[in-house]
Amino acid sequence: MTKTKSVTALAAAALLSASFAVPGVAQTIRIGVNEPLTGPFAASGTYVVNGAKIAADEVNAKGGVLGKKIELVIEDNKSNPTEAAAVAEKLITNDKVPVMMGAWGSSLTLAVMPKLLEYKVPMLVETSSSGKITTSGNPYIFRISPPSSVEAHAFKDIFPKLHIKKVDFLVINNDWGRGAAEDFGKMLKANGVQVGNVETMDQAAQDMSAQLSKMKSSDSDTIMVTTAVEQLTLVLKQAAALGIKKQIVTTGGSQNPDQLIDQAGAAANGTYHLTTFAPWFADDTPDPAATKYFLGEWKKRGFHFAGATESFRGYDGIRTIVRAIEKAGKAEPAAIKDGMWKVDFSGLNGKIKFEKQGPAGRESGQSFPNVYLIKIDGGKISLPKL
Amino acid sequence: MTEFLQHIVNMLILGSTYALLGIGLTLIFGIMRVVNFAHGELYSFGAYFVYFAAILLGFNFFVSILIAIVAGCLLGALIEFVLLRPMRGADIDTTMLIMIGAMIVMQNGEQYIWGGVAKSVNTPFPQAPLVIGSVSVSWLSVFVFCASLALIAASYLLINKTKLGKAMRATFQDRDTASLMGVNIQMIYMATFALGSALAAAAGALLGPVYVISPQMGNLASLKAFAIVILGGLGSIGGATIGGFMLAFAEEMGAGYISSGYRDAMGFLIIIAVLLFKPTGLFARAERIG
Amino acid sequence: MKRYLPWIALVAAASIPLWLHDPYILNAFITTGIFIIAAMSLNLLLGYTGQLSLGHVAFFGIGAYASALVSLGFDVELLFGIRVVHEPWPVWTGLVMGVVVAAFFGYVVGKLSFRVRGAYFVIVTISFAEVVRLVALNWVELTQGPLALTSIPPVTLGLPGVGYYDLYSKQSYFYLVLAVLALSYVVISRLVNSRAGRAMVALKENESLAVSVGIDVTGYLVLAAVVSAGIAGAAGGLYAHYLKIIDPDVFLFLYTVTMVIMVITGGKGTLAGPIVGGLIFGFIPVFSRSFLGPELQWILYGLFMILIVFVLPEGIVPAIEKWFAARDKDPETPLVKSTQAHIQDAP
Repeated sequence: MTKTKSVTALAAAALLSASFAVPGVAQTIRIGVNEPLTGPFAASGTYVVNGAKIAADEVNAKGGVLGKKIELVIEDNKSNPTEAAAVAEKLITNDKVPVMMGAWGSSLTLAVMPKLLEYKVPMLVETSSSGKITTSGNPYIFRISPPSSVEAHAFKDIFPKLHIKKVDFLVINNDWGRGAAEDFGKMLKANGVQVGNVETMDQAAQDMSAQLSKMKSSDSDTIMVTTAVEQLTLVLKQAAALGIKKQIVTTGGSQNPDQLIDQAGAAANGTYHLTTFAPWFADDTPDPAATKYFLGEWKKRGFHFAGATESFRGYDGIRTIVRAIEKAGKAEPAAIKDGMWKVDFSGLNGKIKFEKQGPAGRESGQSFPNVYLIKIDGGKISLPKL
Repeated sequence: MTEFLQHIVNMLILGSTYALLGIGLTLIFGIMRVVNFAHGELYSFGAYFVYFAAILLGFNFFVSILIAIVAGCLLGALIEFVLLRPMRGADIDTTMLIMIGAMIVMQNGEQYIWGGVAKSVNTPFPQAPLVIGSVSVSWLSVFVFCASLALIAASYLLINKTKLGKAMRATFQDRDTASLMGVNIQMIYMATFALGSALAAAAGALLGPVYVISPQMGNLASLKAFAIVILGGLGSIGGATIGGFMLAFAEEMGAGYISSGYRDAMGFLIIIAVLLFKPTGLFARAERIG
Repeated sequence: MKRYLPWIALVAAASIPLWLHDPYILNAFITTGIFIIAAMSLNLLLGYTGQLSLGHVAFFGIGAYASALVSLGFDVELLFGIRVVHEPWPVWTGLVMGVVVAAFFGYVVGKLSFRVRGAYFVIVTISFAEVVRLVALNWVELTQGPLALTSIPPVTLGLPGVGYYDLYSKQSYFYLVLAVLALSYVVISRLVNSRAGRAMVALKENESLAVSVGIDVTGYLVLAAVVSAGIAGAAGGLYAHYLKIIDPDVFLFLYTVTMVIMVITGGKGTLAGPIVGGLIFGFIPVFSRSFLGPELQWILYGLFMILIVFVLPEGIVPAIEKWFAARDKDPETPLVKSTQAHIQDAP
């Protein structure tokens, strides 16, 4: 019983101290960060948050923005749409943030979007890929990650060099995977490539041998895979175990090739990956100095290098928001929203400049990053000269 | 035909691990009447423990698996002693709620300790697969298959050929009579939960290196284990074994020839069908669940 | 005194938007209210008939999808080339259809699954929910699958010819949820205090006795399942139109777990139980968020759950009632005894 009491006392003390710890008003500019830190997407959300922290520290070390330091208010949306909406509500009304970044998964972002309309607060979308996000007429949305149609468009110039004649798709069963299969399928068909099987795998699935066995005996020459790195590791390992010799191309930009090499070993050899950020070739990125600074900080903080390909979006996201605040001249939602349209700088993966998408008068902003094709060979990553 | 043979081989390997998961749960479920929602967490505990022992402490891969199984056994005994023993006699949904609470605590505890990024364990097996004709399978999977069969056989012998097993079976059939006959029920319950947990940890220890190890890996394992237990009937090792292979067969063929989107629905559809036509499971001894 | 308690609670709840202006807390009240409605419907099965449905989120999700689809419209091709085109209807018809469709599934599931009891019933209901989730995920033409149904319109009140009023504001949603909650409370309390309700409790206490005195066990169980599923469907409809987006995540097992926790900690088989448990577990995340890291919030949640079951295995409401009864020496007889007497009186 005494134990229970002390726990309650502790909790009460914590509550008290939390309520006294309200920071002085207007000393800092607050930026809301709405990411999955627990649940199935915890790993990715944590990476993005770590990237965001690097950007915030960098900005503050240089004196902040508009003469004030920025402060990230980071909340966990528990990989759950209901929570994502509640978190947005809390960030806007309790923490009074004038701008937010979030919410990783598409369904999480979609759940937040009505709140943006309600409170007229802009949000920078750093990861979600669903086409609906920028086409549904929500003028508070600014996205820096490419939807799969953009990736597919970039792939149009690349695929002939891979000699693809017929392709099978293996995609994660969510908006991201289905969207990729649809957009890449459409583009490839229009360019004379046959599309064979389109197979899905459940988000939590660990055994894909059944789907892969089917592809093993199909007459396609290439398998295109879209999923996050954990599942991708399994796909590569299981494809190797089944003796599949086909060309494997992955899309989606969440591949973390280093993690693949580390965890899939030889099974990763010979695979191609479409990615939007190439930290291995810092000198070939649009802003080599920024890339090197980011990677240096990433290493200094003891994070695993493999996370860099996910976390750079958090880093770029916060940097974009800070530039929008700068353009706005004041930390107010409406001004920041207008400021977003004036942002034009070189991010880690290409120019960040928003173009209008969606119904006229209510357009969302979409930026178009670079897309790279990399190859893993002999446990090393290369930019194949095709 | 090639594809079919490959599906069959996949099914055998998957089925053996499903069986291992199912047996642990069916013992706990059958003998103790506890709907063990933490079963999947013991599975991921086993996987994380192999990672801990093999990668961080540098033990030999096979030794690490043994350590993980023993650790799972001890953790099971601890859970039984702390969480279940005080609630003996409570109804099924009360203990179930406790196990759901334990599941939430364990899963988030794992994430707190290990982080959300998946871990992987390197194994001493060659990466090149074993190829027989047109069928291909990794050496690690062959090892997992053999180890699973060995563990299944061992638990079968334990239940059917030892004194402890006899006492467990007696408790399963009639707790009060068994108690009157001098069976130490407390001890049997603890042994049952520890054994079930050890088998779950063993499944995790074997499969962790095959897949990747993440805090959420237990969720799917729990659901599948329930499916297997229902197919096989409560408390039946043979039933759980066949149930495991059946589930694997349905999933493999469902994904291969029907639709991969409904792959995970196959097991549940079978369950619904089985319960409608033979409500006590396919292989259960005649009994009434109250 | 006890008779007026629900009224006092209702008035107190109705006053909340008048003095509480924090939209975040109000939002927490609304989502908690929606889950309380779902928990109340689960309580009808779990608390009064003793059947633990761990797939209850299926009815919640079916209500949400049905309501959203009726008000958004759809165009699907069924087997043999039959095409079903549905033009959008007003939102309130969507809510009603959500209840009807969920209740229909409640009937089907009730008819089929009450052939088994106990642990088996638990697993059938989980399986059912999982299958429904996978259908929602894979029947892309109807549900948009993982692409989610978006732009779900808010609830509209009004009459043809008189004009319509969109419930955009939090206050109006709060009152809508409160109204549905009160209505569900009345329906459930009427039901459990009727002859049917006493029969349900009787068969929960002793099924073979109930059968032997001629109670139509399956009939009453199915009735409970239909009402319960319908109310869960109403909660799902409110959820869809409040959040304005739904995807197959609406079938998260976690939501069922949330409902079960609310019912059992509050006190199953009591009318107030799900409300008390719901308020506690709806607001733990709101408060723990301010002083604990993400994983630790969950760990606290789990520990608190275990603790409540250990300390108050009957639930909070029965414990309070007992405490008051002991203090006042209230001569009121417990429900269980009166129903058993009732059975023995039955011809």
